[in-house]
Order: sequence, then structure tokens, then C-alpha cells
Amino acid sequence: MASDAKSQIVVLMSNENTPVEVDRAVAEKSILIKNLIEDLGVESVTGTPIPIPNVNDAVLRKVMEWCEKHRGDSQQSAEEENDSRKKTTEIDEWDQKFMQLDQEMLFEIILAANYLDIKALLDVGCKTVANMIKGKSPEEIRKTFNITNDFTPEEEEQIRRENEWAEDR
Amino acid sequence: MAPSAMSGSSAHDDIDGTWSYLQDGITKIMLNLQDGVDLRTYMGIYTAVHNFCTSQKATGFTTPGNNTLGPGAAHRGGGYISVNTPHLLGEDLYKKLTDYLTDHLRGLLTESKAHTDEALLAFYIREWRRYTVAAKYIHHLFRYLNRHWVKREMDEGKKSIYDVYTLHLVRWRDVLFQEVSSKVMDAVLKLVEKQRNGETIEYNQIKQVVESFVSLGLDESDPTKTTLDVYRYHFERPFLEATTAFYKAESKQFVAENSVVEYMKKAEARLDEEEERVKIYLHPDIAVPLKKVCNQALIAEHSNILRDEFQVLLDNDREEDMARMYSLLSRIPDGLDPLRSKFEAHVRKAGLAAVAKVAADADKLEPKVYVDALLEIHTQYQGLVKRAFNDEAEFTRSLDNACREFVNRNEVCKSGSNKSPELLAKYTDILLRKSSTGVEETELENTLAQIMTVFKYIEDKDVFQKFYSRMLARRLVHSNSSSDDAETSMISKLKEACGFEYTNKLQRMFQDMQISKDLNTGFKEHMSSLGVKGLDSSYSILGTGFWPLTPPGTTFNPPQEIAADCERFSRFYRNKHEGRKLTWLWQLCKGEVKTNYIRNAKMPYTFQVSIYQMAVLLLFNDKEKNTYEEIASTTQLNSESLDPSLGILVKAKVVNVSPEGEKVGPGTAYTLNHDFKNKKFRVNLNVGMKSETKQEEVETNKTIEEDRKLLLQSAIVRIMKARKKMKHQQLVSECINQIRTRFVPKVADIKKCIEILLDKEYLERLDDDELGYLA
Repeated sequence: MASDAKSQIVVLMSNENTPVEVDRAVAEKSILIKNLIEDLGVESVTGTPIPIPNVNDAVLRKVMEWCEKHRGDSQQSAEEENDSRKKTTEIDEWDQKFMQLDQEMLFEIILAANYLDIKALLDVGCKTVANMIKGKSPEEIRKTFNITNDFTPEEEEQIRRENEWAEDR
Repeated sequence: MAPSAMSGSSAHDDIDGTWSYLQDGITKIMLNLQDGVDLRTYMGIYTAVHNFCTSQKATGFTTPGNNTLGPGAAHRGGGYISVNTPHLLGEDLYKKLTDYLTDHLRGLLTESKAHTDEALLAFYIREWRRYTVAAKYIHHLFRYLNRHWVKREMDEGKKSIYDVYTLHLVRWRDVLFQEVSSKVMDAVLKLVEKQRNGETIEYNQIKQVVESFVSLGLDESDPTKTTLDVYRYHFERPFLEATTAFYKAESKQFVAENSVVEYMKKAEARLDEEEERVKIYLHPDIAVPLKKVCNQALIAEHSNILRDEFQVLLDNDREEDMARMYSLLSRIPDGLDPLRSKFEAHVRKAGLAAVAKVAADADKLEPKVYVDALLEIHTQYQGLVKRAFNDEAEFTRSLDNACREFVNRNEVCKSGSNKSPELLAKYTDILLRKSSTGVEETELENTLAQIMTVFKYIEDKDVFQKFYSRMLARRLVHSNSSSDDAETSMISKLKEACGFEYTNKLQRMFQDMQISKDLNTGFKEHMSSLGVKGLDSSYSILGTGFWPLTPPGTTFNPPQEIAADCERFSRFYRNKHEGRKLTWLWQLCKGEVKTNYIRNAKMPYTFQVSIYQMAVLLLFNDKEKNTYEEIASTTQLNSESLDPSLGILVKAKVVNVSPEGEKVGPGTAYTLNHDFKNKKFRVNLNVGMKSETKQEEVETNKTIEEDRKLLLQSAIVRIMKARKKMKHQQLVSECINQIRTRFVPKVADIKKCIEILLDKEYLERLDDDELGYLA
């Protein structure tokens, strides 16, 4: 089965009804798809497209581009992953370039990764957002993400006091 | 393409709407999975669960289609303090699913009541398989719930929240299993009993029940682990109880109607069968406890009648049945002890009987016959231990105990406990001596190994040593040892068994012979360099301390021819080793003389004679007739040595005695027999007298007691020197310990030796029954 998986093609159908053809191994970076093929059998997806109702065409292609690139990555064990993920916001070079997108696309990809259950991509996306926040003042962050400040000055003062310990001095 | 019920703008957080869609899908999976699930349904259910959990209420993210992050209030709540993250939506779904499962299982429970026995088994297994396959699907479809809401709940330490698959198992266990498990088990046990009674059964059903019960062992404290608790309580326990009851009843009846041997065969078959059963359809965890209850019911309950049969089997050499009994009784704790003691007593009796058979005339007992009798019993029962008793160490020990008993204390040893080592040493001597019946080297080696088997059991190893060294000395001096290799092999065997000290002297004797050889070569070279033509002589230098030899018991005046050569050798030796004293052991010397006086001889006869006989014969070179008194005064031999030497010459008709027929002694005279006739041209006249060896034996036995005293004393001194102070009682037992490898000392003897050492002031008496060492 494992050796077959490489050569098989599966078709993913975005919510815009445009088919995207990828190798089965690539598609299976998504645990959702992997489980689906495991449960329903590979016959059920040969020739029949898999509907992906929550993802549009552009995003699905982008996500699959990432999966193609990372098809050979080993699956880290859950615990290892948890540890290393918490400790670092480093992103490898290819992924950094990949994530140079407009904000809308970036968030779409994060949502799609969450939906399709592609943990590594979800991590990369969240790290990218985290890096956008890192080192910025609240005002800069608001600007970056187009957020209106709806705190009263009193509220703001209180929050600052409560978080004083975390200030970078 | 989007699933109709869930598509587009309809509220994702509408639990009732969502659930009614999900329930349809789940029911399909639960009940009609065989019809297949299409891709759209699969993705639809997954997406519905996802969308429900990610709906507005639950998350800070917007739904797809909204471009920017964080429109107002929703963001404000979720954004700035992480510990206040609102609960993830999912609880409603989880609860709905739980209720659904409970309903489904209640339905199954009602259905199950319509079935009993095998039908119930079939029902249980069918539903279990359907349910667990569905559970795997639903687990996957609810993966989004697992990944977020369930994970969060579990991370927060909430009890009784499980991942979706485990939830299925928990529900099964609590709703259905608790109610039906005992009925299912009854059906299983009925089926097993049928099989035990020889019917063919569909054991796959049982195998699946086992798998199901095992799967339900969930570790409440750690959901990633499983335990066997549920299986053990609901399956293993009743299974073992039923097994015990079955075999108790069966074996009781079988024993009443059949012989013990038949019963053993039956029990063996049953035990094998049960082992097989575990392999075929039970869980490996049951193997040990099942074996235990079977052993109890089939063996331990009947161990007494088995053991009673053992003597009968021994008496009839029923090796196969003994092996069977061994393997049965070895399965229960302490099962074999009574067999071992019976075996030991039996071997001892057999050994004693075998000795008694050959011991009719103890004095004329051939060493070989005796040793063979001992060996035969040992070989027979060692074989039995190997073949029937698994060559087990404990049985070997029983065999050893029995052998030690009958080797050291038997009919032959009645006359004296030294008889066994003496006969064994004699047998060894016979084997190692040159003989006309040549023994194959490998065969000899085997026989020597057997000798060692008996030797191991000998308690008085010092006696063996004594006899052995005497006989070795004789073999070496008379150079009639069959082979150096065999001698060396034997010594190294003894050394291995008793240590360096035991064979030290024996090895030195060998060395002396080797050194003497070199010495003779040196002497010959020396002589030829001086141009002296001496006798064709050979000398052996034997270290006084190592050889069990005594100086001659008579004075002796060697004939001139010999004396000259001896004198030259003495000078040669003294030159080499200053300050050493040489004592001539005339009684061991021998030589050859050639005759030239015998009429009608085609060839001159050669006589092999002792040095004493040579001295006598050489007198006839000067005089035709010599009187007893003349011979005695020239040779200086006393009558104990002269009489036998002359006696043989007379008997062999080398000399004639006058008056004719007179016994050798004063008043007789001797002439050469010129008409001597013999078939052989080399005539051996140097034959030991029977009485001579007999006497040696007595002497050897006498020295043993003396040597033992010395050995004891040296042991005592050694111990005391190390310990300085010691209680009397302790000293005695320590002394026994040390000496035991040589012989078994009597306490009274040890006490006597302590007294001697006190008198000699090696030891002193201290207070409180203590002894002290005086340097």
C-alpha cells in the first residue's frame, strides 16, 4: 500500500468546483484525507474527486504546493513536536518565502490547515503571525492588523500595570 | 459541492440543526456501514463537526470570507489574556453523541435478551465488531472535536471525558457489557466444556470475545494505556473456576477407574491440551494462572497416589513412566522431594546388593570385579537421571549421596573402611601396568574416567593416595608402566579432583625419573670420556621425601662387578650435587646375567634376576659349590632376603640343593644345574613373592593412621595460626571442614591431636573453653 501511495493520484475539489490533482502521498499530509482514504478505501477516491467544502481554489492550490514541498518530511511524534514548537518561532527559509503573502491569504491558509488537519503547516502559519507581532508596540500591532483601539485610557492603564512584569526593559 | 445541510450561511452553532444532520450520518455508519459511505457524506460530517466547533461563539477567527482579523468584541474577549480563552464549543456535540451511543446500546441490550448460549455469543460478537468498526469511523469524523474540545478538557484534567473512540468503548462497557458479560461468559464456558469433552467447536467466537473483553480494559487514570483488569475479572476468573471444577471432577473419576500410569498419561495429555488452548484462542495472560489451576487439579490433588507408585516404577525400571511422573510432579511446588528421597534409598539399596553379590569372598575379591560392580549401579542410575529426570541437579545430588553411601559403607568395607580406596587404587594399577592384553588408548582413557567417578565418592581419599603412590613407585622403578601419557592423564585427573597438594609427590616421582634419565646419559658420556668400560647400567635417583620407599631391610655386600660401577656413579653424582646422601635401595635393583655353562644349550640363556639373586649366582663363577653359610656371609644378606631369593633359584632349577628336597636354610649347599632347560632363552627369575605384596598392604594401612594424625595436627596448627584464638568446638568443626576432602575425621581423633599439640606447646588453654596459638 505504501509503495502504491506514491504513484496514485487523487483529485481534490475546492468549493469553487475546480479539481486539483495531487499525488496521494501529498494529499495525505492532511490527516483528514489520510483517514478518509483509510476508512473508505482507496477505490472510493480513484476517479472520484474528494469534496473540500471549506476551502476555495486559490487556497487549496497554495496548501497543496506546501504539501508537495514537504511530502518527504518525517512525521514527528506528537510530544517532540509539542516541545520544539513551543520553544521556537524559527521558520525555515523556504517556508518564510512561502508565507510572504497578503494577510488575507495567510489567514485563509491557517484556517485551511486547521480544517484539513495539517499540523506542520498550521504551525508555520501561526509562527508567521507571531513573528509579525513580535517586537511591536500595541499601536504598531493595531496598525499591522487593522484593529481599532476600543479600550478606554483607564482600561489601558490597568492592563499595562497588570502586565508590567512582562515589559522588556 | 458543499453538503447541503451545512452549506453557506446557515448558522454553524445551531446544535439541533447540526446534530440532526450528524445523527443521520452516524446511524448510517452504525447500522449500515456495509452499504458504504460516500465521499460527500464523509466530508459533510467532518465539515459539520468542524464548522460547529469553529463557529463565531467559539473562536476569535472569523468565518471564511471575512478578510480582516478581529472585528470588534469577539476579538477583544479572545485576544489579550490567554487564560481567559472562552471554552471551545464542542460539549454539546459530545453530549449528544454520548446520549446517542447510550440509546443505541440500550437497544442492543434489549435485543440480546432474545438470545442464549451460542446464539448470544454470535450476537455479541457481531454487534461488537459492527460497533467497533463504526467507532473507528466516527472517531475520525469527530477528529476536530478530539483535537480541540476533548483535548482541552483532558488537558484540564477532567475525568470521564474521553476521545471519541474510547467514549464508544466506555459506553459499551457501562451500558451493554455490564449487563450481558456474565451470560456471554456462561456461553463461552459451555463451549469450552464441549470442547474438553471432545466436540469440535467454533473457537473463533471465543477468541473474539476475549479480544472484546481485553479492549474494554481502559485505564481510567491514563487514557493512553489499557489494563487487563476488566478481562481478568470477567473472563479469566470464571474461566479458571470452571477449569478447576471440570478437572477436579474428571480426574477423580478417572483415578478411580484406571491405573496410576494411565492417569499420568491422561493428565499429561490434558495439560498439553490446555497449553494448546491458550495458544489457539485465549489471551496469553491466562497461560500462567491456567497452568497453575490445572497443575493443582490434575497433579497436586493426586500427588500422593503418584508418589506411591514411584517405588513400583523404580523396581520395574519403567523409565518412560518415571519420566512422565517427573515431568508431572515437577510442575507443582515441592512435588519432587519425596521422589528424590525414594530414589536415593533405592540406589543405595541397589548398590549394596550389587556389592554383596561380588563380596562372597572378600579376601580374593578382584579389584576389577568390585569396581565394575560399583560402576554398573552408578552408570545405570546416572542414565536414569539423565533420561527420566531431566538430568536435574537435585536428582544428581541424591544419586551422589546414595553412591557415597554404598561406595564407602558396604559388605566389602565391613572388614575395614579402607577397602574401597585400596581396591580402586589396585584396579588403577592393573590398568596402568604393562600387560599382555593391550588396552586401546581411548578405552583406557574411558576406564580411567570411570575410576574417577568412583574416586569422587571415596571418603578416604588419603588411603587411595597412599596405595596409588606405592603402586606408581613400583611401576616407575620397574619401568612397567603401560604409557607415560596414561600416567600423566591419571595424575592430572586426580589433581583436578583434589588439588595440587594431593598429587605433588606423584608428580615429583615423575620428575625424578626424567632427571635420572638425563643423569644416566651424562654418566655414560663421562665414562666414555674417561675411557672406562663399565657395566651397561642405569641408575634412578629417587627423592627420599617423595617416594614411598624404605631402605633395604638387610645388609648387603654387592658383588665386585657391580660395586665398582656403583662406586663410579656415586663419585660422578657427588661431583654434580655436593652434600647429597645416596642410599642404595638394593631390594629394588635388578639385572640380567648371561649363562655360558649350560650343556646342550643352542643359545646361552639370559636370566633376569634381582640384585640379590645376581650376587648369589655370581658366586658360582668362582666355585662350583657354595654352602648356605658361605653365601650368607659373602653377600651379607639376612635370611629374610636371602631365603626367598635362593628359593626361586632352586624352584626354577637354576641351582640344585643338597641334600635334595631340603628347604632353603642353614646346613644346605648349592651347585649350578648344568642341565638347565627352559622353553625361553630369557628367563625371568625376579618374581615378587606373594607374601611380599601382602605385607606391603598391611604396612600401608598401618602408616595411614599415623599420617592422618599428622594431617590433623597440621590442619589444626594452620587454622590456629590464622585465627590466633578459637573455641574448642569451632576448631573441631573447622578442622573437619578442611580435612573432609581427604578423609572423614573422627571427633575423638581431633581432640586427641589437640591434646598432643597442647603438650607440645603449640597451643594453650585460655578461659571459657578457648584455645590460643603459641607462636
